[in-house]
Amino acid sequence: MLGRFSDRVDEIHHLNGNEVHVLLKRKEDIPDLCLYARDELKSKLSTMFCSDDRGPCGAFTLRYVFARAGGQDFFIVLTARIRADQGLPGFPLDRSLSFPSIAFQFPSAALYEREIRDMFGLFPDGSPDKRPLVLHERWPEGIYPLRKEFDVTTKVDRTGGREYKFTKVEGEGVCEIPVGPVHAGIIEPGHFRFSVLGESIINLETRLFYVHRGVEKLGEKMNLDQVLLLSERIAGDEAVANSTAYCQALERAAGVTAPERALQTRVVCAEMERIYNHLGTLAGMSTDVGFAYGSARLNILKERMMQLNEQVTGSRLLFGTNRVGGVGVELDADKVRKVRSTLKRSLHDFELVISMLRNNSSVMDRLLNTGTIARRVAVELGLTGVAARCAGVDEDTRRDHPYAAYSSLRPDKHHDSPMHLTEHEVEMQMRRGDALARFEVRVEEVVDSAAMIDQAIENMPQSGDLVVSDLRERLEPHSHALGYAESHRGQTLHWVTIGDHPDSLSRYKVRTASFVNWPAIEQAVIKDIVPDFPLINKSLDLSYAGNDL
Amino acid sequence: MTRTGKAKSEKATVISGASIERSPRSIMGSRVETDRNLLDHIRSSQGYRGNVRLLEEESDLASLGLERYKRAVEMCAPKAIATIDAARLGVSLDKGKCILCGRCQEVAPDLFKIENGFVPPTREKRDLVESLGGRTASEGVKKSYEETGKELKEKISKMFGRSLAVREVDAGSCNGCEIEITALNNPIYDIERFGIHFVASPRHADVLLVTGVGSRNMEVALRRTYEATPNPKVVVAVGACACSGGIFGETYATNAGVDNVVPVDVYVPGCPPRPEAILQGLLSAVDRIK
Ligand code: SF4
Ligand code: SF4
Repeated sequence: MLGRFSDRVDEIHHLNGNEVHVLLKRKEDIPDLCLYARDELKSKLSTMFCSDDRGPCGAFTLRYVFARAGGQDFFIVLTARIRADQGLPGFPLDRSLSFPSIAFQFPSAALYEREIRDMFGLFPDGSPDKRPLVLHERWPEGIYPLRKEFDVTTKVDRTGGREYKFTKVEGEGVCEIPVGPVHAGIIEPGHFRFSVLGESIINLETRLFYVHRGVEKLGEKMNLDQVLLLSERIAGDEAVANSTAYCQALERAAGVTAPERALQTRVVCAEMERIYNHLGTLAGMSTDVGFAYGSARLNILKERMMQLNEQVTGSRLLFGTNRVGGVGVELDADKVRKVRSTLKRSLHDFELVISMLRNNSSVMDRLLNTGTIARRVAVELGLTGVAARCAGVDEDTRRDHPYAAYSSLRPDKHHDSPMHLTEHEVEMQMRRGDALARFEVRVEEVVDSAAMIDQAIENMPQSGDLVVSDLRERLEPHSHALGYAESHRGQTLHWVTIGDHPDSLSRYKVRTASFVNWPAIEQAVIKDIVPDFPLINKSLDLSYAGNDL
Repeated sequence: MTRTGKAKSEKATVISGASIERSPRSIMGSRVETDRNLLDHIRSSQGYRGNVRLLEEESDLASLGLERYKRAVEMCAPKAIATIDAARLGVSLDKGKCILCGRCQEVAPDLFKIENGFVPPTREKRDLVESLGGRTASEGVKKSYEETGKELKEKISKMFGRSLAVREVDAGSCNGCEIEITALNNPIYDIERFGIHFVASPRHADVLLVTGVGSRNMEVALRRTYEATPNPKVVVAVGACACSGGIFGETYATNAGVDNVVPVDVYVPGCPPRPEAILQGLLSAVDRIK
């Protein structure tokens, strides 16, 4: 890489075990290097984000994170600086602060670029979509929340802002149906704009960020332990995954590993989280196909798991599982016994319920060929988690970038032998990307998770520390690292840059699986009918809070 | 409903869910775990973090070590702990802000105690604040779900002719509170048997259950939902976020509680409040309507 791009690259360095940082000389080279990373290095754009580094180095920093696919555990971070010599504070609005858009080559970059424009006031040159994203109407132009001069508690006037224009589909008989942000059920808010021809959906546009709370900015104001509590509350049902990713980022930045017991405990709790959420999603799918009996049974199982959560961690949502440098939960013999017996019994019941659902043709019929995500779409949008796996894109952070104790486990039982591997590949090829495929993937994952919990308990040392004690002393100001985890929705990535004081952050970037997967729904519903939308939405199980931050 | 001998014998073991492990019922049967008798005893488990208390006996902070108290104030992410009277070292604890993380107990166990009851919902926000030397520190509620439900059912049938319509609005929550409200509808909590129905439109609603910080981007939608709800209406703020902003507090994107957007009648603290607490909040809401 250096040979080919030596005139364009300033330096390459290796960090935190598996991050390769490439600093570009000029921002104009971003598109070329991104294409090189994707096409030649066979990696996928995982996230891109900006940080305001005008304080330490007189520039905004843009980072493009690519994950190497195909069993090699490393991340390529392309870094470019956008000079802003005017310095702090009171930086004037300036259109010259721009960077080249890559949204045409990387459809998944479009949302990130709009986010950067809203939050930092850097303009993506040549981007196809110039509408605001995070900040809605009544937000004045020229105020950028993630810039350093902006204080998190600022009261911003409710004036000005730009009108939001939805895509208009025109033609004879085409109607528009606006839905939300307040929906009919007990769910989070978001706006959907359907264009329909008769009953068929010909276009769907989602508009989100109604529950934007300013998580990233808040992270810059809190100490490390408080950010941990915040990370649990990005999306309550992903508390373990998000806090694990965050803790790991800090642990990597400090160059420490959490004690073995903590690593195994993280696996146990993360898989418990996956199970109760998948149960909830399967129950919701059963409701949305109009089969209340099935959803009632599955909800009983979910409630059982939530009661188990409470017994293990003191919170029905598993809040309090993680600590910076370890875990806050001790899995003693009594808890282990409860986990094992509850799981054993619930798994048995789960299989009964699932076989009932599978034998119910009215359920299966509704799921089959509904909300199909084509494999090409899954790849282009860089989908993650169940949304990718249902379309046969074989991705799983637990296996591709092992963290916690996953390297000693087998998240994917199919990788045992060459024969299993082939079988697995065939199965992946056959996945159709419809609601039924997602149903089956979730069912399989519930069973796998239970097996993993068993293994993790088996491997868990009986005694030993739960937290590394000297993490904070080892954190260098301005060091940074990437943390990641696989939630029940897919990969969640947390980036931390340590602040001037080692017990603070100067940048906290969160990219949950929902942010990546939301665009999939706009594709999945095409040609389906409006009454199937709730089912498609549920089968994808996307989080609004996790997306909106 | 008559109680069978078996259910009675389960009573002793139900705490912390032990009976659920032992219950021999099949998932496919019709009675399963929805059997009401079980519900007399759903209580939080031993380690549940439901309430934080200021320990009253030790009112002299100086003797406790001011340092530890200060640590607790620093640690508390939502800034629920405050000094109200510097001279007398008076301490106050705002349960509407508390996210029940347990950090205060860790650094100052002689001053704070986490318990497994839940914080009682209140009608006034100031009643959620307790202080050393002031109002008596309140104990967490341990009333069972079933008892609350029965009381509620009677009131609902008297006042509303059997059914109370509830509309849930998420105004910037993390979805944790939604999970607990959803749990009320599962066959175990089965809130409908008390005459409470979750409805799809605010126009059908008597009560609005509002969760979340009151995010800036939801202000308009929340106000419109409130206006669309016919009078008399009651608004219940569910969760630390809705009561006070919780861990998010006041930012450029939040409003530090939904009462800054619409009038609130009942506050249900907790992060998230457990289903029993939300039911208790609905009971207070019904009382409010009279
Ligand atoms: S338990 Fe409540 S009062 Fe104590 S530190 Fe946590 S949030 Fe603050
Ligand atoms: S109160 Fe807690 S659980 Fe409820 S929305 Fe707020 S952060 Fe989430």
